Amino acid sequence: MRLATDTLGAWRSDGAARWLFIWPAVLLILALSLFPLVASIAMSLSKLVFNPGGVKLDFIGFFNYQQLLFGLERSHFLGVLRPPTAIGWAILIGTIALAAVAWVRTARSGRVGIVGLALRLVGGVLLAGFVWILVQTLASEGGRPGSLVVTLIFVFGGIVLQLGLGLGLAMLAVQQVPWRRLFRILFLIPLTITPVGVGYMFLMMTDTSKGPLEPAWVALGLRNFTWVTDPWLARLAVIIGDTWQWTPFVFIVLLAALESLDQEVREAALVDGASRWQSFRNITMPALLPVTTTIVLIRIIEGFKIIDMPNILLGGGPGTATQSMTLQAYIDWNTLNLGRSAAVAYLLLILVSIVATVYVSFVRRRVTELA
Amino acid sequence: MNNPFRRRSATDLSPPAKLGAFVLLLGWAFIVLFPIYWLFVTSFKTPYQVDKGPFYIPFVDFQPTLDAWKYILFDLGNDTIRPYINTVIVGLTSSVIALMFGSLAAYALVRFTYRPRLGIVGLFIGSFAFVVIAGLAGAPLLLAAFSGLAVFLILAQTIGRRFVRAFGNSDIAFWLISQRILPPIAVAVPLYVLFQQVHLLDNIAALILTYVATNLPIVVWLMRDYFASLPRELEESAAVDGASVYRIVRSIVLPISVPGLVATFLIVLIFAWNEFLIALVLTSANAQTMPLQVAAQNATRGPQWWAMSVLIIIMITPVVAMAVALERYITKGILVGALKG
Amino acid sequence: MSRYRMVAAAIIPILVLTACNSSASPSPSSSAPAASAPAASAPAASASASAVAASPGTKFKGISVNILTFNGPQVAEPLQRRAPDWEQLTGGHVNVVAVGFQTIYDKALLDASTGTNSFDGYVFDPQWMGDFVGPGYLLDLTDREKNDPQLDQQDIVPFFRDYNSVYNGKNYTIPLDGDFHMVYYRSDLLTKDGLKPPATWDDYLTIAQKYNGQDLNGDGQPDYGSCIAKKKGAQSYWWIISVAAGLLQGKGTSDGTFFDTTNMNPLFGKNDAMTLALQTYAKTATFGPPDELNMDVGGSRGLFTTGRCALTMDWGDIGTLTPGTYAQDKTGATITPGWKQVLDRSTGKLVACDATTCPYAVDGVNYAPFGSFGGWSGAINAKSPADNQNAAYDFLSYMSAPAQSGIDVTLGKTGYNPYRTSHFTNTAPWLAAGLSQAATDNYLGAIKTSLDNKNFVLDLRIPQTKQYEQDVLDTAISQYLAKELDEAGTEDAIANGWNSITDQAGKDKQLAAYVSSLGIKK
Repeated sequence: MRLATDTLGAWRSDGAARWLFIWPAVLLILALSLFPLVASIAMSLSKLVFNPGGVKLDFIGFFNYQQLLFGLERSHFLGVLRPPTAIGWAILIGTIALAAVAWVRTARSGRVGIVGLALRLVGGVLLAGFVWILVQTLASEGGRPGSLVVTLIFVFGGIVLQLGLGLGLAMLAVQQVPWRRLFRILFLIPLTITPVGVGYMFLMMTDTSKGPLEPAWVALGLRNFTWVTDPWLARLAVIIGDTWQWTPFVFIVLLAALESLDQEVREAALVDGASRWQSFRNITMPALLPVTTTIVLIRIIEGFKIIDMPNILLGGGPGTATQSMTLQAYIDWNTLNLGRSAAVAYLLLILVSIVATVYVSFVRRRVTELA
Repeated sequence: MNNPFRRRSATDLSPPAKLGAFVLLLGWAFIVLFPIYWLFVTSFKTPYQVDKGPFYIPFVDFQPTLDAWKYILFDLGNDTIRPYINTVIVGLTSSVIALMFGSLAAYALVRFTYRPRLGIVGLFIGSFAFVVIAGLAGAPLLLAAFSGLAVFLILAQTIGRRFVRAFGNSDIAFWLISQRILPPIAVAVPLYVLFQQVHLLDNIAALILTYVATNLPIVVWLMRDYFASLPRELEESAAVDGASVYRIVRSIVLPISVPGLVATFLIVLIFAWNEFLIALVLTSANAQTMPLQVAAQNATRGPQWWAMSVLIIIMITPVVAMAVALERYITKGILVGALKG
Repeated sequence: MSRYRMVAAAIIPILVLTACNSSASPSPSSSAPAASAPAASAPAASASASAVAASPGTKFKGISVNILTFNGPQVAEPLQRRAPDWEQLTGGHVNVVAVGFQTIYDKALLDASTGTNSFDGYVFDPQWMGDFVGPGYLLDLTDREKNDPQLDQQDIVPFFRDYNSVYNGKNYTIPLDGDFHMVYYRSDLLTKDGLKPPATWDDYLTIAQKYNGQDLNGDGQPDYGSCIAKKKGAQSYWWIISVAAGLLQGKGTSDGTFFDTTNMNPLFGKNDAMTLALQTYAKTATFGPPDELNMDVGGSRGLFTTGRCALTMDWGDIGTLTPGTYAQDKTGATITPGWKQVLDRSTGKLVACDATTCPYAVDGVNYAPFGSFGGWSGAINAKSPADNQNAAYDFLSYMSAPAQSGIDVTLGKTGYNPYRTSHFTNTAPWLAAGLSQAATDNYLGAIKTSLDNKNFVLDLRIPQTKQYEQDVLDTAISQYLAKELDEAGTEDAIANGWNSITDQAGKDKQLAAYVSSLGIKK
């Protein structure tokens, strides 16, 4: 049986349509993305100088990158790196061991050529370096995560929550309960509010002295306690706000997917005596997997760009506890340090491209083939 | 009177389970609606009432006032109407155009095979980069552009051909979605310069173009999976009968896809409606959009909660109204992934 | 189908209604206290019209100018309110383009530097002159201002006239607002307990400690001794300057607070003065609300006006915001507290204040009122056509003229604070705005004391000032408050950050700019 993605042979000869369909989109994107892409690389390698003639770009090479990775801005970007604790060492060594085992297995199996093996080796080294930074900032004495690690926390925490909630809500809303159509519309509302507006809304909500939660806060005896001074509570607040805003996206897509599932297979299984859990695990989940991987990819890409929630809620504070990479770029941009702003954005681009590529090639392809 | 929680089919939940599901859904509905309610209530408060502490119910807790509404709708008058109209025009236009081009591209990626060669693509990027850097370094733009084009054409005929490896459809798709990785902040100033060169600053055309380009990848990705899951038999039989691609798309594919198109349209509309940073940089007096007005309520001496609430409410009302109207299409619409068979 | 009709029926009338009403001229909203302004502006407008030379109504006929400013409502509000009056007088047209606070700087700079030149004038932060004057984006207004009877330049207080609007010896801005910090206190509480307003920061801490935890507004809840907004990314970075300035600058405005004028060494660096200032600043947080670290000025103002703070530090706005609130007639203002010691720049240690080290000390206390931000000022785009420049200048001068500004500075909703001698001598508008005579005298007295002080501190006005303050200083201070850095770490962060910016921009260039920004115009 041919896969849905096979092309139709009969149309290979319909030449004009091939180009007519795809080129408008490609051209439009090229026109508006290529120049800014190259120009901002150029900006990241220079500094802005204002003179009577206009604005000049003074080439300074990799200075901005050097500052971010090794110099003055390192503590803001990578974080404060300190020797790991025992747990930190354990995590690092564990990761390296697992990666090494996986690499050896792949080499032995002969599935991949020399180039592929070399690439995987480089990837492994990068991964180890990455975990090394993570461990030094999070699992160490006196280490402090920089915007790179903070962004990862937001993305990872956010996706787990959004996926869990979105899936759960979709499963509930697909049942024949009263008011289900009303629920669907209501649940879409958070997504319709402009992100800046959501940020300010949450700022109002989480104000423990004059926000709506104040009586509850006081009743719990927390009058003199605030979440804004604790780095982890602050990060949690950002994640909660982000989840509130983006769960509808996951919910709607998964709901549609669930709605279009073929009910006959499920009915047959249930009639045959399978439990609900079994039918979910063996029928529903595999069918949802391709959808889920697409949503996760989109949320990863969008999630790495998080800026409005931490900026409006806390300005990136307390200290730099909730400063995401895009927020760091924004602060630089706002003070007209365009070169360093572009440099941060490019490091983000590199990081997410790697993550997305790895994700697509390993996870999504396997899952789509399975389905 | 029928029990609303009764079991209706074999796969349906038992009544107690249904009740549980209903309660949970109600719980999340409360979580969603309470902040909106708070916004709504805040829009009827005076600054002093906001500062004094949480008041929940109008007329019971506090005396509501229409000051904020009056201020936004009447005192600011044009400064609210103009951005509102801009948002509507920019949002609708860019979403429709993105939907058109994106769906065609999505269909093409699913039904046709593309193999752009590595060499050609690399050369293209290289020549373009050469032109841009020459321009930034001070060379006259036209000269740089022509020489870049010439270099590309010449090299493409010779070196470009030598690379046999090519990209495929999924690579093109990945390239499209990767356009969304770079945070808009990085491209804001280059875009400003770009539009300044063509005298489109502070013009909604600039916003429309940018949003189309930004949202095309989303349209392509959502519609791609949708088209891939459509039954091919219809198209195949029509092709065998001699219908051209255009005919097939117009009379067979599009009508079936209306749900998916509408759903994607709504998502892209939301993205364009609420976009902030690019609008901030590319507009000043005439082309301002609503998100800017919301953010602008953050006065130098503190956010004006009451006015901001009004703005947010009037911003989301049309979108929610559209969602209400289109809801039936949404749920049937987004079929992402090959689900049938 | 009916569902769509319902929805459409709801939206369309609203849009139509608002469209109809938008043609009417905007009337001031009554949300803020005191709204007696409109009636007063009409006679004031005709009074100043006689000062304008050519025949009224046609002087700038057919000319339309774009002024970029901050979307307030403050700051933009008086411009928008008075634009029709000016248009009536001169026949010109004013387009007030109001954008968010965060982006005025970027927009103005991008607009000027890329040659777009869509704005003829700006009402912005005179601090940014460092970035605008160097590349020649601003028009030199020295002669215009000197010879303009409408502006009445001599009425402007010397600090704003001779320092704040001057760069490299020339005037580039027209003051519309007088920004600087003061400390406000609950006069009823201090009088009851026989305390004097704080003269030094130690006094401030003592008073704050005394009242912290007591119920200050009779609602049964414990309140706070001191409320100073400390939120990151929200203009809080200016407060530390007010705390530290009295320790760092002792010999007058030209002494400078930010850098050593001989070698561009950051004074906000490793020295005892900075350590003491940081510790004091952190201590104020212990007497404040628990979420003070995330509070912006709107929050601290709200707390003070609802009677929940004994002390606060703010620009001039609190004076005009108290009518109609709990704090009405219970508020006193005083010059920002100073210190009895000052930094010896060569040793990095603190020395006692005497006639040599603190020539301008009052009763042994070295005050250093900080002209934070500088006060919204008007400037003209040097590349606009001459007619537009003249029209824009005339409009801004009209706004600044004593008749108009005298009213505007009394209204909390304008965001403008006093900067002219006439603002102090004419108390009628203040009383009309709702302040009692005693409150008016106290408030104006505090302002006058501050403005008369010869050790007034100029905000940083060299190129890249935003990077020094909003990037390095703001981040370092909030890291200090969040205990991510200790005093030494904070001082290093600031000093190293500032040095890096200075080196990137060229140390000699920055030093020259700094020195000339402190110079006085004669």
